[in-house]
Amino acid sequence: MIPRRIAAALASFVAAAATLHAADTLPHVLISRQLSESEHIAVGDVVRLSASADDGAAQQFRVAGVYEPTPDPARLGAVIREVQLHLPDLLTLTREPGMPAGSEFVETINVALVDPADAAAFSRDVQARMPGVSAQPSTGAAESTGPFLVLRRFHLAIAIVTIVASTVFLLALTIMLVDERRAAVGVLRLIGLPIRRVLVQLFIEGVLIACIGSMFGVALSLVSEGLINRFFQWRYDTALVFVRVTPEVAAICVAIAVPLGVSATVVASWALLRRNGLRLARR
Amino acid sequence: MNAMGFAWRSLVRQPARASLGVLGVAAVGALLFDMLLLSEGLVISMRGLLERTGFDLRVTATDSLPGQGPLIPNAVAEAQAIATLPTVRSAIALRFANATILNDRPRGFYTSFQGVAGTAQHPWTILRGRDIGTGAELVINENTATRLQLAPGARLVLRAACTGEEQALPPMPFTVAGVAQFPFDTPNGATLATSLDRLADACGGNESGEADVIMVASQESAGTAAAVADVAKLLPHLRVLSNAEAVNRFERGGFTYFRQISTVLTTVTLSFAVLLITVLLTVSINQRLGEIAALRALGFSRWRVVADVLCESVLIVGGGGLLSLPLGGLLALGLDTILKRIPGIPAEVHFFVFRPEALQVHLLLLAAAAVIAALYPIRIVARLPIAATLREEVGG
Amino acid sequence: MSAANGTIVEAMHISRVFPMPAGPVTAVADVTLKIAPGDHLAIRGPSGCGKSTLLHMLGCVETPSAGTLLFNGSDVSKLSDRQRSLLRLRRIGFVFQRFFLLPMLTAAENIELPQSEADVPKADRRRRTSELLEYVGLAARADHRPSELSGGEMQRVAIARALANRPGLLLADEPTGELDRTTGEQIAALLDRVNADGTALVIVTHDPALAERCTRILSMRDGRIESETTA
Repeated sequence: MIPRRIAAALASFVAAAATLHAADTLPHVLISRQLSESEHIAVGDVVRLSASADDGAAQQFRVAGVYEPTPDPARLGAVIREVQLHLPDLLTLTREPGMPAGSEFVETINVALVDPADAAAFSRDVQARMPGVSAQPSTGAAESTGPFLVLRRFHLAIAIVTIVASTVFLLALTIMLVDERRAAVGVLRLIGLPIRRVLVQLFIEGVLIACIGSMFGVALSLVSEGLINRFFQWRYDTALVFVRVTPEVAAICVAIAVPLGVSATVVASWALLRRNGLRLARR
Repeated sequence: MNAMGFAWRSLVRQPARASLGVLGVAAVGALLFDMLLLSEGLVISMRGLLERTGFDLRVTATDSLPGQGPLIPNAVAEAQAIATLPTVRSAIALRFANATILNDRPRGFYTSFQGVAGTAQHPWTILRGRDIGTGAELVINENTATRLQLAPGARLVLRAACTGEEQALPPMPFTVAGVAQFPFDTPNGATLATSLDRLADACGGNESGEADVIMVASQESAGTAAAVADVAKLLPHLRVLSNAEAVNRFERGGFTYFRQISTVLTTVTLSFAVLLITVLLTVSINQRLGEIAALRALGFSRWRVVADVLCESVLIVGGGGLLSLPLGGLLALGLDTILKRIPGIPAEVHFFVFRPEALQVHLLLLAAAAVIAALYPIRIVARLPIAATLREEVGG
Repeated sequence: MSAANGTIVEAMHISRVFPMPAGPVTAVADVTLKIAPGDHLAIRGPSGCGKSTLLHMLGCVETPSAGTLLFNGSDVSKLSDRQRSLLRLRRIGFVFQRFFLLPMLTAAENIELPQSEADVPKADRRRRTSELLEYVGLAARADHRPSELSGGEMQRVAIARALANRPGLLLADEPTGELDRTTGEQIAALLDRVNADGTALVIVTHDPALAERCTRILSMRDGRIESETTA
């Protein structure tokens, strides 16, 4: 004798299984997380898809899963309402009425090579054998895309302005800081130390300060990288990375900052050292 | 000598560092000003461009933007129906395609190709020649005319491409009726336009009356909102978008990147400026503590020395702020030139657009920066122990 | 200007204690003294005995930790910072060892500065400044900046500045400390003249010769007045 509760559970399970078995005849699709959230569609739901706005030739599909779309910077800000179908299902859905099967087309074929290093050679080979087909390695495609080239130049222009402003301020600050030492420098000059000797000392100090400051700047940029990425990822509901401080970027920044800092110190010191020692030592 | 005069003399005493401080603020202020222009510039520019076309509504088959979604079947008839509404002044149907002008180049000359139906004013401005008539005529843009050396009256043969698929449509001859300016042309783009019927013929002649968008101009007395309501009621299966709504869609899409980056850069720039001015002022104050203590001993009140510091900050930021405006203008021109190279951006759209509100916000932000930057040095002078400072100065 | 009883400053058992990390330090302990109009007082003592601290208290730059300090009859501890500033501006003049002239102002502008702060009209300021430059013998150096003046000249400008608002009391902290003997004597003579013209003068000094020019000499040690001699 099966207890009543267990019998009810078994009955539900059998009914569900029977429904599932009957519904399994529906083709499966995947929907994007954003579509699932905006239209409140869950896994297992049945949806109707049509290629035309007037609902003509709509077909039923079962949602087999929800996926996170690959972040696409070209679609920043857009709510990605996407459906992934098996290709035959898509071709059937989008085929013009009366057109025979086999006359459909695709825009892109993605190819994964055994050896990715063969990409360039493979592209050339495909293009030679199949005129009218464009084959491109996927690496480097992003950098060659128009909008990103333009944005890179835009960001570079902003960076240049920021560096100019920083340099001006840096010069002002180093002049002030060197000026604070004028009495000491004046006394050193009066007791006979040559300009060169004093300049070397100030140069070494400038190098130390510039190096420490650069390291601090890199650390600050790493912290702000995390903050900016988190903010924009939340703002746009995306997994895109907006700021990335690579070793190359950090090296370039240090390579600019250290010479700038040292040069500012040397320029400020030189302006000071050219003055008479007695005038420097006098308050 | 009032506080401002005193502050001026304090700055002029060290002309090199004062000039550098002002220049630094000018550079930072220029960037700040430009970011404020950028935050709304693209939207304002696009809004202006949409309004200059003379049409304030766009009707499409789906929520996609015109040219990105399915065609409107029977668009010509529906445009005619819309044009009869009392709140509508005129309506035209517009279809977008591409074409290759066949010439002595191996691959021809690739252009965009538009077809328009309706009796209202066409969405282009004739520069030379005349507008299209009923025959196989088209108007071309200046780029096309220049590069192919075509003038009104010239004949050309083109092969249209009307869907995303590879097609082998027969070439069709056209006569150039005129050279026109198209509002959404890109700087190097080539554009042709003809009647919708002629474009349908060029596209194989199998469909007619279909269009990507119906552009509608509302009656001035009725207003856009009334026209939107009427059109939506007449054609509930279609989507009606006013210019304002179209701009909102752009804002929520790719345009939003520029607003966000301008916000981030505005914040970073301001923080940078405040930090640097604070350091400049603080170092300057620290070098003059003896003088300040002496002034306090002579009877200068706490608030007087605080006012002196605040005025110094105002002078540095004020001088730099004024200089930042022409610098910012020049920088904006340069940055605009860079950004306009993004593919697909119409030539008449700008990223940096001046508006008085941006100037007001700029000045307010700089004023706030001057005050905030002065807070720490003010704290130093306000809490300066007079006697202890005098003793220290004597003791060295 | 003085209180009804003819006293400018009256200090009654005033002390000044500085809290330090290693423990409180008593710079001035239980000092009682009066300064009347026209007094010529020197305060001397070894370094660290509290002379400058006492001077700062008399000049309302410091407030006593204990005791009562009256200036023209008003209890200084009950005055606000603003009121004490006004007192220093109009009633007290300060002369410092290091001069503390503002380097970006000319000699004349340095002298005009306290007058400007005291809202003296421009014409009166100019007149007073010319008088004071004549008084200190620097009429020809009115438009020179401190960097263009010798030490003695800078101190004379500082004295003129201290007298700008006609204070009843002039306080000088080591006024000849940075000057050579000859220049110091010139300054001392000028200060004598200031006192002779009616301004009460209190000088803190190491210099015995300068102290002996005063009619009252207070000797301090360890924060206390050890002795007072009268010429």
